[in-house]
Order: sequence, then structure tokens, then C-alpha cells
Amino acid sequence: MGGLLRDRRAQLLLLLAPGVGYLLVFFGGPLLSALIGSFRQDDGSFTLVFYERIFTRASMMRGLSTSIYYGVMPVIVSLAASVPLALLIRRSFFGRKLFSGLYKLPMAVPGIIVGLMVIVVFERGGFLDRLVAPLGLGLPKLVRDDWGIGVILASVWKQVPFMTLIITSAFAAIPEDIRNAARTLGASRLKTFFIVEVPLAMPGITAAILLTFIGSMGSYAIPDIVGPPTARPLSVLMVKEFNQGRFNQVYAMGMVLSLFAVSVLLLYYSLTSRIGTGQNRGDAS
Amino acid sequence: MNALAIETASMPRRRVFTPEDRILVTIGLYGALILAIAVPLALMFLWSIADGWSPPLIVPKDYTTARWAGILGDGSLIRATVNSILIAVVVTVLTAAIALPTAWAMARFPFRLKRLVEIFILAPVIIPGLVVAVGIGQVFLLFGLAYSVTGVILVQIVGTLPLMIRLMTATLETIPDDLIHAARSLGAGTVGIVLHIILPLAVPGLLAGGLMSFIGSFEEFDKSFIVGAPVVETLPIKLYMYLDPYSMQLPLASIVSFILLLPALVVFIVAGRILRDDLMAAGMGKI
Amino acid sequence: MSELEICNITKDYGPSRALHPVSIAVERGEFVTILGPSGCGKSTLLRILTGITQPSGGEIHLGGKRIDQAPPEARDVAMVFQSYALFPHMSVAGNLAFGLKMKKVRKDERARRMAHALEICNLAGLVDRMPRQLSGGQQQRVALARAIVMQPSLLLFDEPLSNLDAKLRDTLRHELTELHRRIGATSLYVTHDQAEAMAMSDRIVVMNEGRVVETGTPLELYRAPKHVFTATFLGQTNLLPVVARGAEAQLPWGQSVALDAPATGDIQVSVRPENIDICADEAGSGTVCAVSFMGANALYTVEIGGRRIRVSQSGVEHLIETGRRVTLQFPGPVHRLNGTTAQEAA
Repeated sequence: MGGLLRDRRAQLLLLLAPGVGYLLVFFGGPLLSALIGSFRQDDGSFTLVFYERIFTRASMMRGLSTSIYYGVMPVIVSLAASVPLALLIRRSFFGRKLFSGLYKLPMAVPGIIVGLMVIVVFERGGFLDRLVAPLGLGLPKLVRDDWGIGVILASVWKQVPFMTLIITSAFAAIPEDIRNAARTLGASRLKTFFIVEVPLAMPGITAAILLTFIGSMGSYAIPDIVGPPTARPLSVLMVKEFNQGRFNQVYAMGMVLSLFAVSVLLLYYSLTSRIGTGQNRGDAS
Repeated sequence: MNALAIETASMPRRRVFTPEDRILVTIGLYGALILAIAVPLALMFLWSIADGWSPPLIVPKDYTTARWAGILGDGSLIRATVNSILIAVVVTVLTAAIALPTAWAMARFPFRLKRLVEIFILAPVIIPGLVVAVGIGQVFLLFGLAYSVTGVILVQIVGTLPLMIRLMTATLETIPDDLIHAARSLGAGTVGIVLHIILPLAVPGLLAGGLMSFIGSFEEFDKSFIVGAPVVETLPIKLYMYLDPYSMQLPLASIVSFILLLPALVVFIVAGRILRDDLMAAGMGKI
Repeated sequence: MSELEICNITKDYGPSRALHPVSIAVERGEFVTILGPSGCGKSTLLRILTGITQPSGGEIHLGGKRIDQAPPEARDVAMVFQSYALFPHMSVAGNLAFGLKMKKVRKDERARRMAHALEICNLAGLVDRMPRQLSGGQQQRVALARAIVMQPSLLLFDEPLSNLDAKLRDTLRHELTELHRRIGATSLYVTHDQAEAMAMSDRIVVMNEGRVVETGTPLELYRAPKHVFTATFLGQTNLLPVVARGAEAQLPWGQSVALDAPATGDIQVSVRPENIDICADEAGSGTVCAVSFMGANALYTVEIGGRRIRVSQSGVEHLIETGRRVTLQFPGPVHRLNGTTAQEAA
């Protein structure tokens, strides 16, 4: 009996080793060394100066707030587009199957190309600008502008299909009978949606929000290409410092970004454990 | 008769989703799709074949195919394309090989620290890719792996592995225990079970994961840029260089964009028929 | 006018017809079961009654009002679902209160109704539990309580016991019957289990392939079914072609039996196994080919006149072994079925 048990434990470790091992070596290790590096002076002594700089230097502070801004705004705009889209896709309409495949296209387009598309369409002198020129109008500065609208547009374009996919699945996982039960108990379509369906889809929706926030907050290519040079997010600043060899400063900045991402994740876990739907794998028998 | 009519009137009529509504939805959604996706792509294409396109022209006046013809002679572009494809293939194969046993363990073994391992596997998705790259970047410098194709491959796998593991775990979880027990009772050994039962049933997940890994690697930029540039050039890195705001070359950038996009789009459309929404959402959306 | 009138309801899915015109009337306080095999349309009919599915034609009147065009939330109909369909994110109390809040019932009335429902359904003490913390039987009771707390004009049951194991099914069946006795709601119950239907209902509507085959009380349908389908679906029976001559008929192997209604010519009769007597007889024309001892009775399969007849005997002292010769006797009149020829019985 003991031999069998040990065998199973050994089996488990052996199976987990490739994936977990690889990540430990090529992800965990570097992350740890970055964490340590962010506290180290060149002579090896402990220091907080790199973190100090982030929270005192004006450019760094602006970098941090810009990163958060580029994380939050795309989420809000994407949500506004994804939820109605997810609800519409539920219904049957002509060409629904084809549409279900097509709307996911932006997920296959890399960030740089999205940046290029924004330039082509929205830049001063670009397509839209020329379209409205005969009317005597001019497009407001949307690319490399102070509000980073170009960045937000590009991020939204890329994130909406992803969000829609996850939100659609979250709603689809709700058994139809539960919706029917709510209706027969006197709830209108609208009430059923808000009181029954949304709470049950919440874990999926918050997961989508979280992943979108992290994705757009940490992105580099899009803010670099279409973002204003006056308000660069931490990700862009990090590359600049990296190219100048100031690695420890880069590590500190990376840790701050990661801290944000992790705290949002923790917030998500605390929220969903409170909502607690009991929709785990395996049903109540 | 009148009493009945009054009774009917007092009962609210339902709002039914009529066929006319359906057409409106179709028109609205496809219209939005065309505006959002087709138009920008078309514009990019026009840029690549336009012979000078300055304002106020809405559509270019002169066209040339010289640039497209020219790329076949552009050595660096061909090198970048070959690099990208090679790296993507190797990354995909390695990712699948590494992910499969781990996914099997996650799917079939209950063990105490499972949630912790789940979160650890999720971590590379949460931590911004740039942070991972700069962390690895310096380590690779020490080991001489920086500015090498090997280094780029190794760092890209960190990005593709979590998704592949999670997708494969979701797929493998759907294989009922009873199938394996039945096979064993019919005399199949471990190798037979893997070959004839597990692998065939795992194919949808493998395909989905493989395609996403391929695309993920092909268009990966952040990590490859830090580790590889300027020595190793992948297509995204090449494209980035054409988009330098001080020396922007829109036509060339458009061409490279299409080279970058076309395989990804084709693979995605093909995959769209194979990919199951629920598996994709489970692999990508559950945290 | 009956409390519930279903008039010529049809349902088409594209070219295929799920419900041919179906008409059923249910009186106030009656417990009617719709009985039929899977796919006969009974669940479709229930969904049309709740308003979840639209009928293709026909009308439904409840309490004098026409309801077939109204949305589900406007109808005074409550349903107990086969899958329970409890709201996972609400406690038992939350589930019960949901419908009452939707219909804007006042707080004190709400509390009163909920307390009453909890008591009738044996759910005391579970008020604050979440659905995932309850067993199957408890969940089903909550689903039941959630429906009756609405005091609906029509109470619908969609095979509520089929997800439970046999023992639990039995217990809940008794509870449901007791519940109906206490609150007397007009109820429509759907099931494919004929024993359940017979045990619980005031009346049974037998359905098959989208049509109503016949209706009647359990006793009527069991003892004197009009159609072959009813005879074979409810309990076990032997279908035999006979030649009728007035009040008597001749079985295929020559034996004579009395008919419950006079007839002439080739007709078909249905004889229940418990209405046939069997005794060992060396000179008998039948042979026992199988015996099953069921405890309360013994089930014999007898080969006689080239046919296999099933005979049930209760209170047996000893069993007749296979291979022995037996005589069959038909003490009472046998039941004649409608509108079928001898060919269909053969």
C-alpha cells in the first residue's frame, strides 16, 4: 500500500515537473531576481531609492497614473460595448454563426498593427480627417493627444472581442430553467436579467474586467506608437531605462506595476467569494 | 363577448422577438463589424499599393505594385519572416510537449496544493509581459542568451505555456474516468490508453492551444523586443521599426502588417471552426 | 366554465408538428396528470402554459381570462421544475421570497405565506441555507415551497420526482399528495411514470405523439381503457384477438370468456394478468415457460395456443415450476377495446 501511494505522489511530481518547472526557472526565478534587484544598490546594499524615485519624481508619478489610466479607461469603454454585444449574440439572427467567428478577429491582431490602424484612420491627415474635410470640419487630435484617446481606442478595439467571449460564456453557463423559473415567478425580462442573471455571471464578468485591465495597463507597443510623448506610462518608461542599462530602476518599476495587477486580482477573489454562486464543478446531488 | 374583450385587454401582451427585429440586429452587428474591422484593414491595404497618397485625397489616385514586388528582394524582411515562422513553430511544439503532462496532472489528480499551482500557472498572465521580459533580459545577458533566437524562443514559451496548460486542463477534464477504466479492463496498457483514448479526445484542445500558441508567438512583441532586438528580428519587431514616429514609413509598415496578419487571420478562421467557445472561455477566462 | 381550459393548442417547429390540437379542461382544485412517454409533447405543453414557449395556435383560459398571449410574469401560473432551478446565489428564504417580492406582496403577508409554506413542505430550520448545502430531496421541497407560496391559480409540475432515487421518490410522492389535500391548488402534473400518475391523480390525461389519447380517472383507465395505447402503457396487460358472439367470445385456443360489453365478429380484448387464474393441471392446454417471484405475487409466463400470456397470482403458497402444464381460467368478464381490429392485436 505504501509503495503504491509513493508511486502516485512520484507520478504527480513527474507530470507537473515540465510545466511548473519551466515556469519556476524562466518566470519565477527572473521575477525573484528582479524583486531582489529592485532593492539593491550597485554595491549590494539594501536601498529603497528606486522606489522613492517612482513616487517622487514627477515623470515617474505621471507614468504610474498614466498606466492606471490606460488600464481603467479601456475597461470602462470595453464593458459598455461588450455587455450589449454579448446579449445580442445570444439571440438568433441571420448570419449568427458567421458573426460568432468574425467578431473574434481583433484577438488575432497584434498590438502594433492596431496602433497602425488607429494612425491610418484617426490621425490628423488620416482617413476620417480627409472624409470630413469637404464639410469644412477638422478632426480633433486623437492620436498622440493629451487624453490618450488613440491609445484607449486601440486597446478597446483589441479587448472587446475577448471580453465579449468571456461574458457570453458566463451568461451561457446559467441553466435556462433558472431564467424560466424567475419569469414564472413574476420577474420581467429586465428584472430577471439584473436580479438573477448578472449576479450569476459576475465571476466571469469580473474575470474579464481583471484580465482586460492588466492587459491594457501593462501594454507597451500601443502607448509607444500612438500615445502622447508628454504622458508616457510606466511600461514605456521602463524600456527607456532598460536601454540605458539602469536595470534596478527598471525592476522597481516592474514591481510596482505587478503589485497593482496582483492587488486587483486579490480584490477579485474577495469579491467573488462574497457573491459565491455555488456553481462549481459538480452539482449538488 | 364584451366581457371577454375587456379581459383580453387587461392582460399585457408579450414582446416577441420578431423576424423584423432579427434583420435589424443582423444589419446593425455586421455594419459595426465592417466599420470597425473591414474599413481599417482596407485602408491599410490601400496604403500598401498607393503611389503617394496625400491629403485631401480620400482614395489614392495612383497605384503601384512595386512595393509588394520589392519585398521579395528585401533580404531583411524575408529573414524576419523566416525567423517569425521558425520561432512560432518551435514555440508551439515545445509548449505542447511541456504543457501536456502538467495539464494531465492538473486535470486528473486531486492534490492539496492544487489551487496554489493553479495561481502560479496563471501568474505569467497577471504579471505584465514587459516585467517578465526585463527580469529575464538581464539573466539572459549573463548567460549569453540575449540577442539570440534561442533566448527569444525560451522567453516566448513563458507567455504561451499558461494558456496551453489551462486549455489542455479544461479539455482533459472532460474525459470520463470510466473510459479509462473500461479500456484497462479490456486489456489496454498505459501506452495504448494514451495513444488510442487520451490523445484522440485531447485533439480539440491541442488544436485550439496549438493555434493560439502559434499566433501568440508569431505576433509576440514585448518580450521578443527586450530579449532579441536589435539582433534578432521578428516581423513584429520589424514593423515596430517602420513605425518610428520620426521616420514613419506608412506604406512599408502596411505591407509588413499584412504579412504579419495574413497567416494569423487564416489560422484564426480555420480555428474558428474547430475552437469551442466554452473551452476557450474556460482556458482564458477562469481565474 | 372550467378553471383551466386548453383549447386546440398546437405547436409546430418548422415543418414538424409537436402538438396536434390538444384540448384539456381542469376543474378548480383538481389534480390532473398528463401521462405519456418521452417526446409525447407533455413538457412542451407545460412550457406553453407557463408562457416560456409560444403556441402556434389555439387558446388558453385560466379563471375566465385568456392568457396564451401574456408574458410569463403576468400569468398566475407557478411551476416546479424537474431540475429544481433554485437560484444558487440566494438562500432558501431568498428563493421563497423572490416571487412574492416580484408580485409586490406586503412584508407581513410575505412572512406569513413563507412560514406556512415552510411548514407544509417540512423545511423548518433550513431557511438560511444555500441551495448547494441541501440534498436533492430538500432542494425539491424548496422548489415546491417556492411555487406554492405564490398561491397560484395553476400549479404545474414538470416530472419533479424523476431526479430522485426510488425511496425518496416514494416519500415525496406521499408528501405531494398530502400537500394537495391540504391546499387544494388546481394542479397539472406531468410524468412518464404510470404508477406515479395512478397513485396521485384525480384524473389522468394520456398523451402520445403530440395527441391526447384518452382521459379518465385512474380506475377507469386501468379497468376499462378505450385504446390499445392506454391499456399497454398503464400497468401490464395481455392483448388478445377474440371472436365475439353477443355476450361471449372465443379465445384463439378455443376457450370461452364473458365480455363486459356485447359485440359480434373479430374484436380485441385486454386482460390484466391479475384477472387470470392459473392452476397446475396435467391435462391443461398451457405450459409454464417462466416464473418470477416478486414477493407480493408471482408472475408467470404461460405458453398457450401459440401465444404467451402473462398471469399474476398473489398470496401463493408454492410456485408452479417451468415446464408444468396448467389451465387458465377467466373468472370475470374481459374488457373489450375500441376501434381496433384483430390484426393489430396479433
